[in-house]
Amino acid sequence: MKRIILTLLIIAVMAGVSRGKVDLVTLPSRDTVQLTIYNSADMTLVREGRALTLKDGKNKLQFSWVNTLIDPTSLEMLPKADADKIDIADLTYPPRVRNLGLWNIESGVSGEVPVEITYLTSGLSWRAFYVGTLTEDEKTMRLQGYVRVTNNSGEDYENAQTRLIVGRVHILDEIAELARRQYPYGRPGEIAPLSGVSVRGLDRRVKMEMEEKIAWAGAPKEIRKEGLSEYFLYTIEGTETIPTGWSKRLLSFDVDKVPVVNLYKYEEERYGNSVVRFLGFKNDEEHNLGDTPIPGGMLKVYRDADNQGHLSYTGQSSFKYIPVDEDVELNLGSVANVVVEPKLVNFETENYRFNHRGNISGWDEICTFKVEVKNTREIPVKIEIQRNFNTPYWKLEKGGNFDKYEKVDLDTVKFTLSLEPRSKKEFEYTLTTYHGVRQEDWKKASR
Amino acid sequence: MNGKRDKILAILLLLVCSAISQARIKLVALPERAATVIRLDNPRATLIEEERVLTLQEGVNKVDFSWKGVSIDADSIRLRPIGHPDPPPQLSAKAEAGGAGKVTLLSVSYPPGEAALVWDISSDSDYAETVRISYLLSNIDRLITYKAIADKPETYVDLKSFLVLRNFSGEDFDRARVLLDYGEAFEQGIDHEETKRMLFLKADKVPITKVWTFDAAKLPWDPEKLPAPASPDASRGGGENRNVGIPVSYRIVNNANSKLGEFALWGGKARLFQDDGHDSTIFLGEDVTGLVPVGEKMELYIGDSRDIVVTQRKMTDAQINIRRNNKDKIILYDTDEVITARIENFKDSPAILTVIQHIPGQPAATVRQHGEWDMEKCNMKYKKKDANTLEFEIELPARTEEGPAVKELKMHYHRRNVRP
Repeated sequence: MKRIILTLLIIAVMAGVSRGKVDLVTLPSRDTVQLTIYNSADMTLVREGRALTLKDGKNKLQFSWVNTLIDPTSLEMLPKADADKIDIADLTYPPRVRNLGLWNIESGVSGEVPVEITYLTSGLSWRAFYVGTLTEDEKTMRLQGYVRVTNNSGEDYENAQTRLIVGRVHILDEIAELARRQYPYGRPGEIAPLSGVSVRGLDRRVKMEMEEKIAWAGAPKEIRKEGLSEYFLYTIEGTETIPTGWSKRLLSFDVDKVPVVNLYKYEEERYGNSVVRFLGFKNDEEHNLGDTPIPGGMLKVYRDADNQGHLSYTGQSSFKYIPVDEDVELNLGSVANVVVEPKLVNFETENYRFNHRGNISGWDEICTFKVEVKNTREIPVKIEIQRNFNTPYWKLEKGGNFDKYEKVDLDTVKFTLSLEPRSKKEFEYTLTTYHGVRQEDWKKASR
Repeated sequence: MNGKRDKILAILLLLVCSAISQARIKLVALPERAATVIRLDNPRATLIEEERVLTLQEGVNKVDFSWKGVSIDADSIRLRPIGHPDPPPQLSAKAEAGGAGKVTLLSVSYPPGEAALVWDISSDSDYAETVRISYLLSNIDRLITYKAIADKPETYVDLKSFLVLRNFSGEDFDRARVLLDYGEAFEQGIDHEETKRMLFLKADKVPITKVWTFDAAKLPWDPEKLPAPASPDASRGGGENRNVGIPVSYRIVNNANSKLGEFALWGGKARLFQDDGHDSTIFLGEDVTGLVPVGEKMELYIGDSRDIVVTQRKMTDAQINIRRNNKDKIILYDTDEVITARIENFKDSPAILTVIQHIPGQPAATVRQHGEWDMEKCNMKYKKKDANTLEFEIELPARTEEGPAVKELKMHYHRRNVRP
């Protein structure tokens, strides 16, 4: 494992002394460290607190970061005391030396000065994942959210306050790519940054190595959640030590009795001839949720198989970011225990129109469909059936046993049905589509 | 001049007696650089100006200027006497009457196969003449970067701009005056292959406007109909659970009200942070800005909002007023189109969403696309940005206990005289 040390040397340059004569003053260690880790990009904002011993006059401060994935263009240092007396004149990236920056500081004070050093680094990541456990009757679900933080940055962060950002930031360059550049800002006229190893490739490899290790499950800690701009900030209670190469799994929330809707959908154009199962709920108070948005991740759904705590695996779904108050429908894949069978039971054409040459210039097509819907499960289900007509010139007459019908867009309608356990329903609709000059008649009639 | 390395600029003063015709071999002096200016006011080229003192003798002097390991545009090299300049033609008679001295550049010669040139300089007396030599030097330039920290309510930013000097020219500059297109010159030394970053603009509490934009031509209309992401789990689930992010930008006006407006803001990469209220910041995003002249707006795209959801659908699309030729073929028609956009704000703060709608035109004889259309009914006010583009500013209240704030935009319009 790489052991990386960030060195911070203070070199006091006395007035009149040439540049070659330098005086090493101190090598301060990190007092505090805060990690703000993003999951929409391979990026972490690191904030270190250190105490520097400055001398009155010019000071040079050397900061090096060999074998880390720090973006050198993001380095910034700010004094946290006597800010008006300390002028950070410039940051120099010396020639022919990699991973090293030299701050020129003009100090009007002598002694210990707390400073904050911030930079962006690559290699730390986090992701959310969820475990849902449905009750036997599938009316409610226990939903547990986890976050898993992984450190592949090359640097051990000890006792770091760890914060996670939920949201999608816009970045121009990969931090890992910036970290690998020979020159921090490139060279004049240079277009593509230098990159030895593909960032994604490296991440995947390291990730695979990580997957082989057992995630370290710490004692449950509270995660404070708050909104900032378009993001949510999760702050993990206390501090964490995550050595490089290691992951930590933390419980984000654990909510029982989330009411769920067992929703099934049928739409030939999207799902073929199968019925697809969805699990529906809402991120709101009524569902014992709604404090904060829920970050995207994978949800694995299980079901209580009996009263002895055995489980049966139901399926999984990728979880998108769910804002507070939004309905969510999680696709758990196709099923065979709920069946939808539309059948064309009648077809006719009529209202032919002919042009002055005697050719057909317009006609109507009348299709009658019978749709049979079966719920073979032992629980009640809701079923949505969408039908697309591929033309905006249509008229629909319906009949039979369904709860709701709505026009979704110009050529799509949706029928909604609720079915009791082990039950069957049937309905019919007659679709008239208008072709050729009959479309003009349709328009006149509909206006 | 720094003589430490072989990548050097050399200037040799050659004394030429009138009898010697090929005198480039006679070294008289190697004058040191007196003052150097690195002028970075043009982003496409860097101009170096250096002053040197030449010991000139009465008569014609040859001055040899050569370079190695650096890239100089030979045509850009200029020499200007400072102490006893040759006055401009209209002033020369007056100068001669006044008896002023004169150092005149007679000609410039380029020796074959060398990165060098030779100046013929005429001097009416012996002088220690200060001359200014200027040239365009490649591989030395400057970048501008910005760092802005927004306050928690996102009403202003503390803006800093940094100048990054990059010197890969092959030449070390021990000490030079660096000039930008505005502001004071400053002294700075920079070696070959060195990069230096320095603060050059700091403006606190610069007002910002936060802007959300839904452009119907760029973003998916119906989030539910997004294609499923490629995933090995797709067959077992996954699928349409994807968010459509609404782009979010900060708008900064380069004017006095913003405590800016003194000069154009150069283009460069901007990184935006936000005060998190806990004596720390979070990174919001980064964008690159072009040059922002005084009075103009800088718009920095920081990321996407997933708490504003727009679901746009076409509810009607029909041909009306169809006109046919005598072969019964449609030659012209109008359309009847209805578009609805349901906008939901799940945020606990209000937002102003800019919605951009496009009514497609078609090629015409005089213009590439014409926008012959009329709006039958629209339930919201809009500005016509051009013939085909409509811009709506929709105020969205914050989410309440009842749920998200919802607004519905409905446009019923007709495109006219469409040719199939």
